[in-house]
Amino acid sequence: MTQRAMQEATFLILTALAAGSQHGYGIITDVQAISHGRVRLRAGTLYTALDRLRADELIAVDREEAVDNRLRRYYRLTPKGSKRLAAEAGRLQANATAALSRLDLAGGVT
Amino acid sequence: MTDSSGLERGYRRLLACYPKTFRHEQEEEILAVLMASARPGQRRPRLAESADLLRSALGMRLRAPRPGPPSRPWSDALALFSIAAPLFLLVADILEVALPYHLPPTTRYGLIARMLGRHVRIGGLPLFSQPFFDIAVGCQVIVSALVLLALRRLALAALAAAAVYWIVARHSVSWIPYPVQLLSAGVYILEAAALIASPGPRRGRHLMNWRHGVVLLVAAAAVQVSTLMYDAKSPPVRFLARRPPDTTVYLVGSIVLAVTVVSLAVAWKLNRYFLLLLAAMCYPYAMQLAFSSTGDNTDLLGLPTPGHLALLFLPPLLFAGGAVLVAVTPRRSRALLSPDSGQPV
Repeated sequence: MTQRAMQEATFLILTALAAGSQHGYGIITDVQAISHGRVRLRAGTLYTALDRLRADELIAVDREEAVDNRLRRYYRLTPKGSKRLAAEAGRLQANATAALSRLDLAGGVT
Repeated sequence: MTDSSGLERGYRRLLACYPKTFRHEQEEEILAVLMASARPGQRRPRLAESADLLRSALGMRLRAPRPGPPSRPWSDALALFSIAAPLFLLVADILEVALPYHLPPTTRYGLIARMLGRHVRIGGLPLFSQPFFDIAVGCQVIVSALVLLALRRLALAALAAAAVYWIVARHSVSWIPYPVQLLSAGVYILEAAALIASPGPRRGRHLMNWRHGVVLLVAAAAVQVSTLMYDAKSPPVRFLARRPPDTTVYLVGSIVLAVTVVSLAVAWKLNRYFLLLLAAMCYPYAMQLAFSSTGDNTDLLGLPTPGHLALLFLPPLLFAGGAVLVAVTPRRSRALLSPDSGQPV
């Protein structure tokens, strides 16, 4: 069964968590770095996505800390989330390869 | 300079648009991210931030319900306890002062009272003229104020200072009624663990509602009624009374109130770990009460042996230590065992 394509924000959040657990603000800064500043998540968007990803069991809470009297919760990719991210990365890579291949056949990118 | 309190208020107003269950779980966390993302000198939420939060909140309210994020009953219980326990202790003190045990009139006390020319009772306002009681209550007021203001570190410091003072002034402690002594010890031991290991009193303040208040009030009443039973069997009364006072009404009253506490907690589905913490807090007092009711007038605190002290304080100390260990242990292994861990499919 084919899965729906992943939204870019979701893909970047999962990518940010692929190297290890991160807290909310860490994810925001990492996503910005991964996308070379193109995608800047806001807190509302981030937590809507995190809530959905937790419900879909693609991520889970890794641990919690109290920093400066504020709760800091770290999220990690679950095995299911890793598989889903790998599948999505493969799909994007295949699409990109196909696109570049056809562009080459047509005379290359100008 | 950033007006962080005004900015935080602004964010909280926006976060109030989220569904209650989501807010209950995530508000403090999102707020931390928003505050970390704020620009230097920012005084209120920016338009784009406000629009993003409102859109996110609306989306959550409109979407189909789904199983919520995993609960954190243990850390929530500690956070709740961190704010509830000092308040409980204060209420217990107030009841100790407001509802003293009056010596029954059919005793030798009547003659002695006439000789003394004043009314004799156990507890009540005269407690404040006893050495140390006013200072002990003052410490409790300070700790309660600090946890209400969510000043965790200052509350811990005040708690440590109070504990040191109790130890230094241990020879004067005997002036304080045993129930207050033992409840204070139980509260201080577990409160320290709760402040160290929980997300903090800010989270506790967020979790606390009127149901917790009712349960704590009834529990404090149960403690005070049982204290009257204890007072009726205490040495001064035993000395003054012609025959041992009938304590049936106090016994029945305290049992009824204790059953009410448990029934309300079950009916309202209060966090069971929180109830466990309350039970551990009351353990030293319950132990003393149980021993004093055995009939042989065993008094664990009168001339305490190391064994007596261990019996009274070791269980809550171990419980507090266990709570801290559970809270500081890396959660990966526990998360893998939890239903939300996302095991391979």
